[in-house]
Amino acid sequence: MLLFRSEENVTQWCRARGLPMRPLVSLAQLWQLAVAWYGNRLTVESRRPQPDEMASIFASVGLTGAFWDPNADGWRRTT
Amino acid sequence: MDIDTQVKLQIYDMVARTGAVPSTLDVARTIPAPLDDVAAAFRRLQEKRLLVPEPGDASRIRMAPPFSGVPTQFRVRVGERRFYANCVWDALGIPAALHAAALVEAVDGHTGEPITLEITAAGPVPVPCVIHFAVPAARWWDDIVHT
Repeated sequence: MLLFRSEENVTQWCRARGLPMRPLVSLAQLWQLAVAWYGNRLTVESRRPQPDEMASIFASVGLTGAFWDPNADGWRRTT
Repeated sequence: MDIDTQVKLQIYDMVARTGAVPSTLDVARTIPAPLDDVAAAFRRLQEKRLLVPEPGDASRIRMAPPFSGVPTQFRVRVGERRFYANCVWDALGIPAALHAAALVEAVDGHTGEPITLEITAAGPVPVPCVIHFAVPAARWWDDIVHT
């Protein structure tokens, strides 16, 4: 995931690579994700969030839909 | 404490203190523990997606998220310490993990314009920017270095 100064820069970046525009995330949302994901990473009990936990974390910051679903079959490779 | 937890904590302690990710040998010497046991723990931590080894050399770490074992375009300063992050999410993940204020030096993904993010105890100081996730969550680990 990359940082851009503006949505227009994302549009141009995607166009230059022939890639679809994906959902945009704000800096405030990304901070909430960082805290949820890594806030206890240096502790004994730390572990990577499991798929259901990931979906809950995304939903808690307003990121919902298949793009944010780690179990979404439609996004998985078929080969 | 089991060996996997000891190794995990040692890795993160070393990178948090120095900014450099350790090798299996570094960790084995520091715990101390047999090198083969530490190498096996590295493999299990990789299976848990807590580590990504350097391609072609499983004794070295490419990623111990949020930390990067190699220089990237996401540099993070916490006091006198310097870190590299794997992506902009991980760049915020470093101050989140260290519970410390930080300065993130990054660039616009399209123009290369430098963008500095100040992270305080209350979170990032607002600046004009957006974050673009090009890969859906279900495919992040198809190629995590690309993601």
